[in-house]
Amino acid sequence: MKGLLVEEAMRRQVIQLSHDVSLDKCINQLIKFKVNALLITDETRCPVGAVSKTDIVGAFYGGLPIAESLSMDIMNGPLITCFPDDELGVALDLMRRNGVHQLFVQGAEPCAMVGTLSYSDVVALLYRYCRACPKGAVRRSELTDCSDQTQLLIVRDAMSTSVISCRQEDSLARVIEGLTAHRLGAVLVQDAKGLPVGVISKTDIILAYHHGSSLEVEARSIFKAPVASCDENSLLSDAIRHMFLKDVQRLFAYAGDPSRIVGVLSLSDAAHIRSGSCRACITSRIIAAP
Amino acid sequence: MYARDIMSPRFHILSPANSIAEAVKMFHIASVEEQKRIFGLMVIDEKDQLVGMLSMYDIILFIQPKHIHVWSEIEDLEAHAIFGELLDRVKSVRVSDIMTTNVVTVKPQTHVMAIADLMIKRHIRRLPVVDGNNVVGVVYISDLFYHLLEKFL
Repeated sequence: MKGLLVEEAMRRQVIQLSHDVSLDKCINQLIKFKVNALLITDETRCPVGAVSKTDIVGAFYGGLPIAESLSMDIMNGPLITCFPDDELGVALDLMRRNGVHQLFVQGAEPCAMVGTLSYSDVVALLYRYCRACPKGAVRRSELTDCSDQTQLLIVRDAMSTSVISCRQEDSLARVIEGLTAHRLGAVLVQDAKGLPVGVISKTDIILAYHHGSSLEVEARSIFKAPVASCDENSLLSDAIRHMFLKDVQRLFAYAGDPSRIVGVLSLSDAAHIRSGSCRACITSRIIAAP
Repeated sequence: MYARDIMSPRFHILSPANSIAEAVKMFHIASVEEQKRIFGLMVIDEKDQLVGMLSMYDIILFIQPKHIHVWSEIEDLEAHAIFGELLDRVKSVRVSDIMTTNVVTVKPQTHVMAIADLMIKRHIRRLPVVDGNNVVGVVYISDLFYHLLEKFL
């Protein structure tokens, strides 16, 4: 990743709203443009903060009326920003230190945001580099006569083993408490036998809020099925490809049997690996380090 | 010549609570009944208020994978099967979740040249015609086109 700049990975579309728009409108824009956060501007169109999916989930939990509450009521500030010519590693550290999934990219003028950068944007860039690399795991995994698999990273190398789950009959309030307590983007939903039956993400929760659901409805009414999953021994590159193709932010990892979930791999986990999907890059980084 | 003279008084609408699947069916029905391709529909709530517009573009924007540029680099892709799975995830999404809410409208007495100006400057292909609080028609760019260029027909 050394030498890669924010401008190579960032998205150039910034979704911005005025500070006096309703939460209803905020959700519409978050869903429509599939972004994690919106830029909020004042009456002079200068950025004053951001509203993220997490903020909307908090508004739902706090019982804020969706049509009457405004973006300024829940926005966070000041903005966490980076510059187009920052190194990607620096930007990733900034995201991790501040616990955010998206940075706004600031242009030459303080009021001008020229893009956004999320973990998935970073992984997408690395994936493209891996595909172009003759030593990369992406190409190697496509070769049937590949004998040396030891260099290849697998899902277990990057996944988190802490899997938070809820039951189908749990209320949305309880699901939100679980997500918030563990700072997660999604929880696994299990049936009475403890088998995985679905996933509830923050997106599902804000959709429920937008559709007028109450906090007391059961998890079963909004979860997504089936669970997007992979074996923990799958190649990391395959898992990343799987996430891009299925347009999901995370895969649950199982040990042999798909009903035995042992971890979760998110695009942010993949971004934290920082060196694509095989050890060749990691080794070169260690050698290159001063 | 004004909006009321060239607008289509017959129009199909969507409800904010319609699913995306229902919206797609309505696009098809509207196109068949109007005998021309309908690319956008007005969204009207239970109080008969215009609350948004939903276009084919909005739906395609939503269903396309976020990292579409990565897809284009994967040669061995069975896009049809994968897209089928992606569409399954749209089931919980409603028209109100992805519609455009800042709708530009005109009045029945708006002049056609003002309509042409709006359509060009704002890249709009259809304009609801609103009288007071009620939608009374819609001006499609094709209505305007054939009206202005009738001489060549």
